[in-house]
Amino acid sequence: MRRKISLFAAIAVLLLSACKSSSNDPQPSMNHEPVLTTTAQVILNTYQDLSQKAAKLQETTALLRQVPIEAHLELARQAWREARSPWEQSEGFLFGPVDQEGLDPSLDSWPVNVSDLQAVLNSSHTITVEFLQQQEGTLKGFHTIEYLLWGEDGKKTVADFSEREFEYLEACAGALAQDAARLYELWSPEGGNYISNVINAGKGSKVYVSQKAALEEIVSALGVIADEVANGKINEPFSQKDLTLEESRFSANSKNDFANNMRSIQNIYLGQYEGEGDTANSLSALVSSLDASLDTRLKEHIQKAIDDIEAIPGTFSEAVFSHRAEVQKAQQSVRDLQDLIEGEVLPLINSIK
Amino acid sequence: MKILSTVRFLIACVGISLAACHSSVEPQENNWTYAGGETTVFSTGPDAYTLPLANLNKDGLQKHLEADAMFAQQFVTEPAERFGGLGPIFNQNACESCHIRNGKSAVPAYSGDPSSGLLLRLGTENGEELPGFGNQLQTKAVFGFTPEGKISIEEREKIVRFADGMETKIRELQYGIQDSYIPLPASTRISPRMAQAVYGLGLLEAVPESEILALADENDRNGDGISGRPNWVWDKQQQSIRLGRFGWKAAQPSALQQSAAAAHNDMGLSNPLFPEENCTGQNNCGGDGKMDISNEELELFTFYFQTLGVPAPRNQNSNKVKQGRLLFFEARCNACHVPPLHTGPHPIRELAYQTIHPYTDLLLHDMGEDLADHRPEGKASGREWRTPPLWGIGLTQVVNPQATFLHDGRARTIEEAILWHGGEAEYSKQFYMKLPKSEREKLLAFVESL
Repeated sequence: MRRKISLFAAIAVLLLSACKSSSNDPQPSMNHEPVLTTTAQVILNTYQDLSQKAAKLQETTALLRQVPIEAHLELARQAWREARSPWEQSEGFLFGPVDQEGLDPSLDSWPVNVSDLQAVLNSSHTITVEFLQQQEGTLKGFHTIEYLLWGEDGKKTVADFSEREFEYLEACAGALAQDAARLYELWSPEGGNYISNVINAGKGSKVYVSQKAALEEIVSALGVIADEVANGKINEPFSQKDLTLEESRFSANSKNDFANNMRSIQNIYLGQYEGEGDTANSLSALVSSLDASLDTRLKEHIQKAIDDIEAIPGTFSEAVFSHRAEVQKAQQSVRDLQDLIEGEVLPLINSIK
Repeated sequence: MKILSTVRFLIACVGISLAACHSSVEPQENNWTYAGGETTVFSTGPDAYTLPLANLNKDGLQKHLEADAMFAQQFVTEPAERFGGLGPIFNQNACESCHIRNGKSAVPAYSGDPSSGLLLRLGTENGEELPGFGNQLQTKAVFGFTPEGKISIEEREKIVRFADGMETKIRELQYGIQDSYIPLPASTRISPRMAQAVYGLGLLEAVPESEILALADENDRNGDGISGRPNWVWDKQQQSIRLGRFGWKAAQPSALQQSAAAAHNDMGLSNPLFPEENCTGQNNCGGDGKMDISNEELELFTFYFQTLGVPAPRNQNSNKVKQGRLLFFEARCNACHVPPLHTGPHPIRELAYQTIHPYTDLLLHDMGEDLADHRPEGKASGREWRTPPLWGIGLTQVVNPQATFLHDGRARTIEEAILWHGGEAEYSKQFYMKLPKSEREKLLAFVESL
C-alpha cells in the first residue's frame, strides 16, 4: 500500500512552484554537488549494509535447515531483524532502481500470499532461488521470510517446521540476498552507477535536469515515508483496530520498522549512515545555512518521532488495543515531522536556485 | 520563468498564505502551458505523473491518497485475510506493476520476461475471442494454475534514410507466444499493447462526445487524407452504445470501464462490470464465483487516475521549441494530435469546463501496414489506432528510463515513433524526413517539451 505522494507534498509542491514564479529574488546559484554526493553516499552505504545483512540472513537459514535447533531459529530471526533494519532505513529514498527495477515488490511485498505459499509447500515442486525469482513478490521477500520464521501467531518453534518450510525459507532468503546485492550493484559506481545520476544532477544526469530537481526528489521522498508511517503503517491497524493491516506483525517488529523509517530520514538529513558520512556537506548543513532555526527544529522533530515510537509499551499489536494514547502520541510526532518536511523544508529547497 | 501564472497563483494564495506570494502576477505567456487547464501540475522530475489535479479540493485529495494506496496494492490468492481475488490467471498483481510511476512500462527484456507491462491482446482474424484464450494472453497464474503462455520477443533494426542523406536505425519488434498451455488456433491474431500512462484520463473522459465527433471525418470529405473515425462500444454501466475513448483502439468508453476491464483482464479481479473470471470457459480456470472487488473499490481505482494531474510543457519560451511548434503544424501533426479540446460537465467538478491541450482527437486512424496488428477491435480495423495524447510525453523516460513509445513499445525515441507513422500520417512523416537535421531537431524539441 505504498503511496507515491502525500497530501501535504501534493499541496506544497504545487503552491511553492507557483510562488517561485512570481518572485524575482536574485539569489545566486549555489553548487549543491557536495550535498548530493553526501546524500548519494548515504544511500549507497545503506544498500551495501542491506546486501551484507541479507547475505548473512541467507547463511543462517541454511544453517537452520542443516541443524534445526531453537538456537539456530533464533539466529535466523535475529539475522532477519538485522537485515530488516537497513531496508527500513532505506525507505526514505524509494526512488531510482529500487522503484524502476521492480526490486521493492520483490524485497518487501505485503501482504504475503499465504494461500499460494501453502500450495507451493504442499506441492512437490523443487523450491529454489530461481523458482522464487519467477514468482510474485507476495511469495517472497521480507514478509514471506518473516511468516515462515515466526508463523501466523509469532510462536513457531523448530518442531513446527516441515522440511519443505526449511527449503522454502532458505531459497527465499537466497532470493532476498540476490535482490539486495543487485540493488547495491545498480547504485554502485563499479556497477550500474545510478549514484552518478544524483551526483551529476544538472550536469549531464539522465534523471535530474537540475541539482534542485534532485534535491526536491530527495526531500519529498523523506516526506513520503513520514506520511506512509503516520497515515499508513500506524494509522491503518490503529484506526481500524485490525492487526491484519499491520505490516510486521508476525515478528512483532513494527515498532522497529517505524523507528528505522525515521532513522532513514535522519540519515539522509544528517548525511551519515551508522555514524559515518561527510556531515559538513549534508542536507542539514544546507538547510542550516539558509534557516538555522528550521535545521534545529527538524533535527528535534526527527529525534522526537524516534523517541515517541520507541516509548510505545510492548509490541505494536498490543499497543493498538492497550496503549492507544502512546500510539497516538507517536503518530502525531511523525505527522508533525511530515508537516515540517513538507511544509517548510521542501519549500525552502524549492526556493533555492 | 513565466510558465506559472494566474491560476496557480490564485490557488497558492487562496490555499495557504505564503510570504512569497504577494508579488505581482506575470501575464500568461500562453494558455498552452496549461496542458490540463486548471488541473495542470508543474513537476519535471520522476514524480511528474504522480501529482493530483492542481485544483483538487481537500476532500478530493484525501480520497485521491486513499486511492493511490489501492493503485499500488498487490493482490493475492483467495482465500486471504486482505486483498484476495488475484487470478487464477493474470498479467500482474498490482496496477502499478504495469503503469510504472503512473507512466509507461518497458517492453520485455527477453522472451518470457515476467516483469514487463506489455501484454498481448488476442483474437481471431474476424475479431472474435480466441477459443481457449479469450481476448488476452495471461502470462502468469497463481500457484497450481497454468499461465496461458509466455510472450516471446525478437528485435530487428531497419535503416531509414532522410532526404538530406543522413541515416538512422529504427527498431522493429516481433512478438509471439511460447509455452502456450494448449496449442494456439491457426486463426490467432496477436496485438501487443504497452501499458499506457494513466494521468489525464479524467479530463479526456470529460470532453463531450459532440466535440470529438466534430473532429471526425470518416469519409475524408475535406480531402486532407485523414479520416478520423469514432469507435462505438458498449458501455456496461450505462447499458448503451457510447463513443470509445480509452485504450490503444479506443475500446473503452469511460475511465470506470477502463479500470474495470484492466482489473478483470490484467489481474483476474472480477468486479461489478466484469463479474466473471477472465478465464471463464477455459480448462485452466477456477474461481469461487464471488466478486473479487466491490463497486466502491472499483470506483476508488478509477478515481485515482481520474484525478491525476497532467504535467505542464516545459521550455515553451525557447526559440527552438517555438519554431518546432510551427513545424509541428506545418507537418500537419496537429490534424490528429489536436492541441486544444474542451471539457464539459463531469461528476468530478475540478475536471469540468477546462481548456486542455492533450494533442489527441481520440479518434481512430489508419496508421499504415507497418503499424497494423490485423486484429479488429469493435469498429477499429486491424490498421487503425486511436491517436495517443502527447501531453507529458517528453517526461516519459524521466519517469521510467526503460519506457519506449508506440503501442508495442518498438520506438526507443520519439523520432523512431515518428518514423513508424504511415497511412493517414504518411504526409507528416514524409514532411519530417524531408526536413534538414536542424529543423528535425526543432520539431523533436517541441514534442519533447510537451
